[in-house]
Amino acid sequence: MKKFKRRLSLTLRGSQTIDESLSELAEQMTIEENSSKDNGVSNNGRISYGKVQPIVKNGRPPTSHSMHSFLHQYTGSFKKPPLRRPHSVIGGSLGSFMAMPRNGSRLDIVHENLKMGSDGESDQASGTSSDEVQSPTGVCLRNRIHRRISMEDLNKRLSLPADIRIPDGYLEKLQINSPPFDQPMSRRSRRASLSEIGFGKMETYIKLEKLGEGTYATVYKGRSKLTENLVALKEIRLEHEEGAPCTAIREVSLLKDLKHANIVTLHDIVHTDKSLTLVFEYLDKDLKQYMDDCGNIMSMHNVKLFLYQILRGLAYCHRRKVLHRDLKPQNLLINEKGELKLADFGLARAKSVPTKTYSNEVVTLWYRPPDVLLGSSEYSTQIDMWGVGCIFFEMASGRPLFPGSTVEDELHLIFRLLGTPCQETWPGISSSDEFRNYNFPKYKPQPFISHAPRLDTEGIELIAKFLQYESKKRISAEEAMKHAYFRNLGTRIHTLPESVSIFSLKEIQLQKDPGFRNSTYPETGHGKNRRQSMLF
Amino acid sequence: MVTATSGRCGGTPERRGPGGSRGSCPRRPARRRRLGAGTAAAAAGENAQELQAFRDYGESWYRSRKGLESRFQPREPLARQPQVTAEARCKLVSWLIPVHRHFGLSLEALCLAVNILDRFLATTPVAADCFQLLGVTALLIACKQVEVHPPSVKELLFLCCDAFTRQQLRNLECIVLHRLNFDLAAPTVSFFLEHFSQVRLEARGADAGEAADARSLAAGVAELSLADYAFTKYAPSLLAASSLGLADRLLRHCSPLDLRISGYPEELLRDCMDQLQLLVSLNGRSLSLLLPRLWLGVCAPQSRCSLIH
Repeated sequence: MKKFKRRLSLTLRGSQTIDESLSELAEQMTIEENSSKDNGVSNNGRISYGKVQPIVKNGRPPTSHSMHSFLHQYTGSFKKPPLRRPHSVIGGSLGSFMAMPRNGSRLDIVHENLKMGSDGESDQASGTSSDEVQSPTGVCLRNRIHRRISMEDLNKRLSLPADIRIPDGYLEKLQINSPPFDQPMSRRSRRASLSEIGFGKMETYIKLEKLGEGTYATVYKGRSKLTENLVALKEIRLEHEEGAPCTAIREVSLLKDLKHANIVTLHDIVHTDKSLTLVFEYLDKDLKQYMDDCGNIMSMHNVKLFLYQILRGLAYCHRRKVLHRDLKPQNLLINEKGELKLADFGLARAKSVPTKTYSNEVVTLWYRPPDVLLGSSEYSTQIDMWGVGCIFFEMASGRPLFPGSTVEDELHLIFRLLGTPCQETWPGISSSDEFRNYNFPKYKPQPFISHAPRLDTEGIELIAKFLQYESKKRISAEEAMKHAYFRNLGTRIHTLPESVSIFSLKEIQLQKDPGFRNSTYPETGHGKNRRQSMLF
Repeated sequence: MVTATSGRCGGTPERRGPGGSRGSCPRRPARRRRLGAGTAAAAAGENAQELQAFRDYGESWYRSRKGLESRFQPREPLARQPQVTAEARCKLVSWLIPVHRHFGLSLEALCLAVNILDRFLATTPVAADCFQLLGVTALLIACKQVEVHPPSVKELLFLCCDAFTRQQLRNLECIVLHRLNFDLAAPTVSFFLEHFSQVRLEARGADAGEAADARSLAAGVAELSLADYAFTKYAPSLLAASSLGLADRLLRHCSPLDLRISGYPEELLRDCMDQLQLLVSLNGRSLSLLLPRLWLGVCAPQSRCSLIH
């Protein structure tokens, strides 16, 4: 115990010079002092930690009861914190930042000082009486406008350095006008030096035409002034009820660490006040367009090269425990060299595949494995392998394998081709309520070769390994790359460094696709559907 | 006894928290159950699937996460904080623990939230009265990163007794994301606990029961350590290995995990284990509350959602 206390007391409490960074704000403060007098609440104009801000509200709908009782329980736990700490310290002023009633009786006191019909935003007016309620367990104060705001108060309230933009909310609370938004965002030297050469700045990029628009993002074709290269600018709006969209957070945080020749490169992130712009390398088209452009008759050699690149990018992700979860031709981007790159990692979260995107658009079911369609919620790397099989088939045959419109339809199409599963072909399936409820007819499996006659024996063998009902039986991306189907690509392809394209090998070359219509890629030809993949 | 499957929901067994246990469990866990229940077939297949994926990629997962550890290790997060103290941090994390359980979130999400919190603290001075807001903001970001259903901003604000506004939370979220430069995919204790446990199961003559028990207890110990500032200096993989080692020791297991697989020298492991043991002895009471099923031998997989005791 002593040891612990000593350790805790060793915690440095250096009086950091945040004062300096706050001085700018303080200057603005003095201007505002007069104007905020009318809103005065607190007697001394200081933010005190030991006072209770009544929080429990009157007239809550009964549905909130469970939350209340939940708080009550927590309250109990706080009397005995899970970690036994020096109580004198925890009970003290610095420990009292937590906005919660501490125990039942305290909650009652708070009840006596209820604010009527307040919504948390407009309850400054009722402050005077409640201010007098002293509580040893103090609750933090947020919703007051103070008559006088001293440096010290500011110190407590806004200990954010000036080099980061002060959020609107705080400023509104303090009734200060927003500082100009074009001030430098960070002083951190590394980023500063990067920004000197233009990274992290929107001015570095010229917007060309719009490639597509979704609920959460708009994608533009652009050009970087630094490199003169084309880029794709994915502009994500951050102003949402729930804050920054999950998809954006995941896509950025995951893509930042994925550097591979078969994964779309995230060049830059530009943070502006209301949006986030991701700067990607520009690729001419996605696999869907590629297949359309060659009249859905691809060279079988190119099918092999594309499949290999999908597997190569995917194996790299899977080795890092990053799942893609939304593989489809629209998410596979291709440049004029034939380099294929995985894009759109918005859904690549560690758990779960939603049936709808965050923007409530239905996610295509065509590439989704049957275990997921039947409601399985635990997945691992094998979840991506089914989709690879579907895409492989689509490239080889020129049509989607299972173009179902609903979950039932999708399952029906799968079972009609691969045979309705039974206990022998899919152990455990007979105990699935979901499956039994659908009551599918008992189809017999059909031979693949009659559906994709252009595939060779090895190709047929490989596709069957992707399309296994039992996910654990599906071949992994890593294994699939070693399959005999790829034997004629040579051995050097397996030892390439991660960041090197397969086309750097002279024996690897794209062939002319038999159905290819025109050799130049139209700049604006595809209108709305272009780069749909980049949207959420 | 705790079985491997009962512990899988959310990566850590749902236990009765120190306080947040009785009473009705709100919507979210119910939703999880609906999704998680899936089908019997799916449930049976899930383990096999995880295991297969582990066999395919477990080693590279471990290597890649291990390689990221130092980059994501918070360095003396409170050294430059004028107001936030180790006690305040302890209190906040001790509050986040029952909160994460209340929402049915995974240990992974909790670990990430604490990591985000600490790394942000290392970059930016935070006022004491913003600290709780920072806590829920970190939790929200962590959930957006790894959870299926992140709690809503409204629910999080309510847990702070609506002391903060939606706008404040959203602003702080932007600041945190910006400050951390979207570096959120930190390796966690939760990942390493899972990894070492899988390695243990794969070993010849493994005792699955012991492995599962050790993992549950270790998860509880690791959870406790999150709240203690002194443990921020340990890398997640070291904490995970030491927690498992301690769990094996406390449970007097016959075939404990071979800690050499963690790659740490023995004295480092011993030091960390001793610290953890001290922590456990100081918190023996709350730990026994954390692990009722393990210690009382109650086996009720259903109770993980209906927390009524």
